[in-house]
Amino acid sequence: MTKFSPPWSALIIGAILLIYPMVFSGAFYLDIGTTFLLAAISASAWNIVGGYAGQVSVGHSVFYGFGAYCPLLVFQLFGWPPLAGIPIGIGVSIVVAILIGLPTFRLTGHYFSMATIAVAELIRIFTGTWDLVGAAIGLQGPAVARGWWDLTFRGELPYYYIFLGVLAVLLVITAMMERRRFGYYLRAIKTRERAAQSLGVPVLHTKIKALVLSAVFTSIAGSLYSLKTGFIDPESGFGILISVQMVIIAALGGAGTLYGPLLGAAILIPLQTATNTWFGGGGSGLTYILYGGIIVIIARFEPGGLLDLWDRLAPRKWRRSRAA
Amino acid sequence: MLLEAKNVSKAFGSFRAVAGADLSVESGEIIGLIGPNGAGKSTFFNCIAGDMPVTTGTIVFDGHDLTRSAPEAHALAGIGRTFQVPATFEDMTVLDNVMVGAFLRHPHRNDARDHARQILDLTGLAPLANNWARTLGTPGRKRLEIARVLATTPRLMLLDESLAGLTPTELIEAIALVRKIHETGVTIVIVEHIMEVIMTLTKRVLVFNQGHVIASGKPEDVVKDEGVIEAYLGRGKHTKRG
Repeated sequence: MTKFSPPWSALIIGAILLIYPMVFSGAFYLDIGTTFLLAAISASAWNIVGGYAGQVSVGHSVFYGFGAYCPLLVFQLFGWPPLAGIPIGIGVSIVVAILIGLPTFRLTGHYFSMATIAVAELIRIFTGTWDLVGAAIGLQGPAVARGWWDLTFRGELPYYYIFLGVLAVLLVITAMMERRRFGYYLRAIKTRERAAQSLGVPVLHTKIKALVLSAVFTSIAGSLYSLKTGFIDPESGFGILISVQMVIIAALGGAGTLYGPLLGAAILIPLQTATNTWFGGGGSGLTYILYGGIIVIIARFEPGGLLDLWDRLAPRKWRRSRAA
Repeated sequence: MLLEAKNVSKAFGSFRAVAGADLSVESGEIIGLIGPNGAGKSTFFNCIAGDMPVTTGTIVFDGHDLTRSAPEAHALAGIGRTFQVPATFEDMTVLDNVMVGAFLRHPHRNDARDHARQILDLTGLAPLANNWARTLGTPGRKRLEIARVLATTPRLMLLDESLAGLTPTELIEAIALVRKIHETGVTIVIVEHIMEVIMTLTKRVLVFNQGHVIASGKPEDVVKDEGVIEAYLGRGKHTKRG
């Protein structure tokens, strides 16, 4: 273990997130809260393969999109509760993850990154022309809930706690992964793949496992998004900005760390919301400028993210690392 | 026979880095591989460790044909190797580095950590267990590489210039460490330029030149071999001296 995440930090973060809706109960702040949680889930899911294993996917929206489309598709086609589409989205994402990973993970270089972005863009374009999935117009969920199983709520609060529950499960799984052989293998592969292989690390198998786990939770994040908004179209499901946001949030906080994506989301989402609010429709391109600026700053000054900066500047007892 | 590499060759396009080399290793031996730079020693190591697929030839380890197997299969079979340029996991601690190797035979974290700590004690790295690997100097990194391989419980260790670049004092300690590892029952093949290491540790030496094994035998005999002297010093130069 190189990173030490003491239980008290989990308790503090958990307590803050639990009481947030009680302190900030207005619709605007609740919306920021749910958007933050969704972004944290997506970035934490990306972090498994992009952060821990160092296999940078720039097309994770492909899994997000499948997760987002499937619940609304089963509702539109069969009248099933959108909830039933979540496992289907997960299943499709697993198959696509294996299909992308198997050929590209055998190669060295940036083939995996290029393959993910190509597949995501192809599917976005294809979805935009396929009538069965609503083509460019997209799909809609139930306007009025037929029962709790439709997961269609009037207020934001139920979504907030559902998202928080999913994030908690994901973080617990990631924390367990960090402490097991799988986590050690991922970090070894990230640093020196050839040396890891010579020590008996099954590199291809480990990378595929990481990608599948990452795809599962990214797909769930997509499903949560479409359940909350009750609408999905090619851009909000498979758009490249979704993938870029996951990468930036994880990199800003600290890729390959448990809480890095949370920190990144806690900074980026309010910032993004503020720029959208201040500038309204006139500032529609500001998100791109914001993302571009953050990429430049991280790449130039702090490639390890803010948690890495914290480890260098904070007093020793407050640092996360146990290394002397 | 523990390892039998027969007629191994490795070509990169029209260039043959290894051209039909043979190596047989009995269990319990320490064998030296020497030769001038670019002779094909490290490429030969890469082939034996499964790092590079051979162009021709066979590699049989303990009766199992590993010729077309992946490096992880070689490690699982009991072949461990170090790299000429130390390839430690920089963003992990010394203990974590060794645990990556230990996980091969100890899948559970506590067992792997216990085994890794034993290895750190054996290799003298225990006081540095919680240091980042990136903070180690060259001798520390080389020692860590050896420890990491040792944690996989290898039966055959391939040491690729693991003792190069050390000060005389560090060299004495490193030779003692290799001896200690050998005494635990590990067979060792060592590529080295430092003749002191070869003469002190090995009982049998193979000399590589231009991808071929040009001589083999006892170290004291091999260093007097005309072909070997010619490979190192160039044609005619040694005779002028004499």
